[in-house]
Amino acid sequence: MPPETPDDSSGDFRRKGEADAWNALSLILSGMLVWGGIGWLISNWLDNRLPLALGLVLGTGAGTALVWLRYGRQT
Amino acid sequence: MSDRLLASEGTGFTPPGPSSFEPPPFFTVAGWAVDKVVVVIALSTVLIAAFFYLAARRAEAAGANGGLVPGKLQFAGESAYGFVRNGIGLETIGKEGLRFVPFLATLFFFIAVNNLFGIIPPFQLPGTSKIAIPLGLAVIVWVIYNYLGIKRQGLLGYFKNMMFPPGIPIPVYFLLAPIELLSNFIVRPVTLCLRLTLNMFAGHLVLVLFILGGEYLILEYGGIVGVLAGSVAILGSLVMTGFEAFIQLLQAYVFTLLAALYIGGALADEH
Repeated sequence: MPPETPDDSSGDFRRKGEADAWNALSLILSGMLVWGGIGWLISNWLDNRLPLALGLVLGTGAGTALVWLRYGRQT
Repeated sequence: MSDRLLASEGTGFTPPGPSSFEPPPFFTVAGWAVDKVVVVIALSTVLIAAFFYLAARRAEAAGANGGLVPGKLQFAGESAYGFVRNGIGLETIGKEGLRFVPFLATLFFFIAVNNLFGIIPPFQLPGTSKIAIPLGLAVIVWVIYNYLGIKRQGLLGYFKNMMFPPGIPIPVYFLLAPIELLSNFIVRPVTLCLRLTLNMFAGHLVLVLFILGGEYLILEYGGIVGVLAGSVAILGSLVMTGFEAFIQLLQAYVFTLLAALYIGGALADEH
């Protein structure tokens, strides 16, 4: 058994900030993928490039908004 | 441009590519080809098991004798395990994380040793550069953190906490919920897998390019230019090997840290 350390006494989730940072990146990426993907499908369907561009912008914005909603307003 | 350059030199230099990761099989057992990657993975498993078994056995023997001073091997084993336990398990998940330390330690040492085989002669091929290995590990992590989240928060609660953060007008959920779903179920495991695989893949390519390129310049290209440039490439390969060792340990740490963060997140999201 490894030696006891002072760390054992505090049982909180101390790396939460780090987890949030990785999640934020993942959320923005997912935002682009989801709405960019939907835009891409519509673009292929309508044979027009505009929905893809709109979808990417919307997705990036939505992902960023989600980061703010999740992590920006708590503290 | 490089094609023209290579063609103009006759025999030419074959640059490393995906084929560098397809070593010829040593032999075949019942249709299963045993190549360098298989050997590296098997050997790393045996080495890790032997190291920790011996370190723990020495500790037990010392305990039976009433000895309080740990041996060198025991100290090494405890330091290595303690690093994952305190630095990853306790720091990211908290006291509850102690339950997961055996898993996290196994993950860390399996990845670290497999990565390090990328610079250990005569193997010099990281077992984790094959996408199947990081993919398998990422799937295990994925199953664990989703299982824990559903167990802790209930099936509905898990999805509700994940997809519907409180305090947003209902129409906006239509925009945001799919993003959270994709982020948790697809982007997390995919990035976990690709980050490790491609770091090892690229690192191996860089080393192969420096070493084979240097060899080609000195032996085939020849002349003062060839020997000078080749020597620089060979020296550069030594520098890159040191750099790779750093990347290999760092990637093992990042993979384990993220696994712990996902597990901690699944356990902590109680609203």
